[in-house]
Amino acid sequence: MEHPVTLATLLDIPEAYHHVFYTWCAMAALFVASLVLRRRMQLVPEGLQNFVEIVIGGLEDFTVATIGEKGRKIFPLLCGIFIFILVQNLLGLLPFFDAPTANINTNAAMALFVFIYYNYVGLRSWGPRYIKHFTGPMPMLVPLMLPIELVSHCARPLSLTLRLFGNIRGEEIVLLLFFSMAPVWSTLPSYFLFLLAKCLQAFIFYMLTMIYLQGALEHAH
Amino acid sequence: MGLAKFFNITDRNYLDNLSLAGTIGLHMVSSVAVGVALGYGLDFWLETYPWCSGIFMLIGIAAGFKNVYVDAKKLAARQEQENKGKGDAQE
Repeated sequence: MEHPVTLATLLDIPEAYHHVFYTWCAMAALFVASLVLRRRMQLVPEGLQNFVEIVIGGLEDFTVATIGEKGRKIFPLLCGIFIFILVQNLLGLLPFFDAPTANINTNAAMALFVFIYYNYVGLRSWGPRYIKHFTGPMPMLVPLMLPIELVSHCARPLSLTLRLFGNIRGEEIVLLLFFSMAPVWSTLPSYFLFLLAKCLQAFIFYMLTMIYLQGALEHAH
Repeated sequence: MGLAKFFNITDRNYLDNLSLAGTIGLHMVSSVAVGVALGYGLDFWLETYPWCSGIFMLIGIAAGFKNVYVDAKKLAARQEQENKGKGDAQE
């Protein structure tokens, strides 16, 4: 089920690249917002700057409280993930737009990046001793724990991808169904619920990334 | 902000617990899926049909349970911390 009228169909973009187009839309919105903010940076924040400072400051406090001082170094990535996914999700609620995260390819790309990045952080901070994160607590149990840990680590990008995809895609389908039954007014109540759900999904992606990075950074036990 | 209060999203601990609890189900399923996919791929490659699939499925199920165990432990630790914080505040 596709949106009846969207910007991508109006611009005659091939169906397979719709999510790429909307990802670029989200990036453009973020670029414009940050350029405007940078031009009018004030010591006493107002309006949009105030809002962004609250979001980023709150997330930074939360990250540092969970990971510790090491968290400040990897915080830009975490915050970028949160804001990028949030904008992508909310794009689905705008008329003429579709959420790029409702396509599984966008999510798989982000989840694979997270998977590679947290393993890279673990390898960089532990070196060859990073293998201890996979061997479990006792030397006796290594042959049993090693495949279990490997499978559970490989399952992480899969669950990240599927969770975001399923939630956002499901919401889009529900909105479309409501819209086809009774246009406009029947979708309004679900807008509020989905606003919350979309923020929550972005937060969950951010928090899981943070938990994986914390697991890679802290001592194995 | 009646809606925010209704969903309790101003309480950060509640939000953390909600998102952590929401992830448990899929953690369990995806491990099994990865295990079966790995086993099936190995079988396809080595032409030993039932063996690798079965073994890796068991490993996947074990990994799923391990994930849920770790998540539950994390939730319990957070709850304990929260209770401790409340107790300190009351004293």
